[in-house]
Amino acid sequence: MDNITKKKISEKGTYFVLLSLVVLTAATILYFVGFIFYNAYPVFESQGLVNYLTGDVWNYGTNVYGIRTFILATLAITAVTLVLAVPLSIFTAIYLSELASPRMVEIFRPLIELLVGIPSVVYGIFGLYVLENLFQDSVDPIVSSALYFIPIFRDPDPGSGFGVFLASVVLAIMILPTVTTISEDSMRAVAREHREASYALGATRWETIRHVVLPAAAGGILSSVILGMMRAMGETMAVVMLIGGINSAPTSIFSATRPMTTKILADIGFYVSEPGPKSALFGIAAVLFAIEILSVAAARKLGGKG
Amino acid sequence: MIKNRNFKGKLFENMSHISAGIVILALAVILGTIAYKGIPALNSEFVFSSESEVIGFGGAIGNAIVGTFLLSLFSPALAAPFAIGTAVFLKRYSSENKFTKSFSFLLDVLSGTPSIVLGMFGFLFLVVQMKYFTGGFSLISGTIALAILILPVMERATENALDSVPEDLEHASYALGATRWETVTRVTIPYALSGILTGILLSVGRAAEESAVVVLTAGYSQYYPELKVAPNENFMFGSKIYPFQDLVGSLPITVYHGFEFPQFVSISESFGAAFVLILIVMLINFGTRMLLRRRRIG
Repeated sequence: MDNITKKKISEKGTYFVLLSLVVLTAATILYFVGFIFYNAYPVFESQGLVNYLTGDVWNYGTNVYGIRTFILATLAITAVTLVLAVPLSIFTAIYLSELASPRMVEIFRPLIELLVGIPSVVYGIFGLYVLENLFQDSVDPIVSSALYFIPIFRDPDPGSGFGVFLASVVLAIMILPTVTTISEDSMRAVAREHREASYALGATRWETIRHVVLPAAAGGILSSVILGMMRAMGETMAVVMLIGGINSAPTSIFSATRPMTTKILADIGFYVSEPGPKSALFGIAAVLFAIEILSVAAARKLGGKG
Repeated sequence: MIKNRNFKGKLFENMSHISAGIVILALAVILGTIAYKGIPALNSEFVFSSESEVIGFGGAIGNAIVGTFLLSLFSPALAAPFAIGTAVFLKRYSSENKFTKSFSFLLDVLSGTPSIVLGMFGFLFLVVQMKYFTGGFSLISGTIALAILILPVMERATENALDSVPEDLEHASYALGATRWETVTRVTIPYALSGILTGILLSVGRAAEESAVVVLTAGYSQYYPELKVAPNENFMFGSKIYPFQDLVGSLPITVYHGFEFPQFVSISESFGAAFVLILIVMLINFGTRMLLRRRRIG
């Protein structure tokens, strides 16, 4: 009897220890999220949210802050990254899930995981010391002369390889593994019966992939793209080395510019003790964070977890 | 008609092969270049001295290696009770309800957080506002910020490991009269152990490679961490406790210095640091794979 009461008490005790760990964890995350928005709030109030998002001027002296150029830079980098990475990732995922022999998959998988294991600063210096020259001398001129009739492919500064395109190529390599592995998993999850039914109707292998596997896996593929997009938008250290760091909106895919993340990195150390500028910088983080939270919600909906 | 269908199939299948080839090529070029440019910088002085012992800044990475080890051991140690406790609670002590759903959403938000945003939080809250306790830019600040960063990685891995435990085993344990806690500690966790360890190792790797959070919370030091207590009235207990309240160097930041201060940290030194960093992260990942493999067989 006594033993059983003891057990009951210790059972209750462990329950509360675990519960308090959960509550502490949740409180920490909520505090973190709240902290960002709380510190950003003054700038939304003083500038007005719309002015803050659409203004072009960022001036610590006059306390006028608008982040349109940084938002445009982030959007440009993210868009070019996705254009480069998504087709490559999805075709690679198709290869791994539908075409490759199990032995090839066994070899391929760890190699793709190696790409995940490369730190973002290392991608950064690779881009900086290896790709930049190459882009300046060959890639940028070739692409820009081939597509000169389209304005966004004209190189505003042929003397430099830095810019949206260089950053996006490196980011595309960085997000490849994320998009590939999650897409591959969702393609593998498509039931074999569906494929067999398609073959039985006389479809070729490609038609089966195109009309059965891809539609069935679409939710997972889309959420992998969203995850990759979030990674590209949030990346700082690799981008700061490759983007050129000029405070102007990109006019071409070869423009040097400055996205939201690197603006924060460049300025936070100098302005953390001044309330106005500090809040303006936290405002950028809050906008990034808000986009991220919406993306997570979307990815969860698509992945069927919402 | 049939010909056209087959042609289309061939075309797209070839594109799949080409894509896979490009991925492998990119990997080979990146790793090859880093090894080619980094290995010549490696010698025993470069790897085993601190920068302060060589020329003051640049020229060595011993201090950064030690700092990376400290940060990537302490932060998982701090995160582990929260991550594992949370996973056990969610999977074994509660059923799915509104609370667990919103908690899982919170974890997803945290795991997708841009690291610069977490870095800002660490910088303003831990380094500036909590300076009295953390010592400002310090091992403590870096450890706490990194622990928040890796928490979702470890928590999700633990949840997956717990999901892999066969229900029959736990039912058998309950049938023998074991309590829930006895079942968790003696049946569930031993069975899921290698999966949980995998999660811990993954987060060690994640902490080792992080840079944006570290540069804003741990700062950087050219000296080896030292063990001492020095009187200092600015901090708790009236003294500064080394190495915890002191700045700490780390390999990703050394690599970054190759961009920030190229006059001090040369290209080959930056690649050398990158090579050592990748080596460490890959050894950790390799260890993880070995663990996973053993779990599949055993």
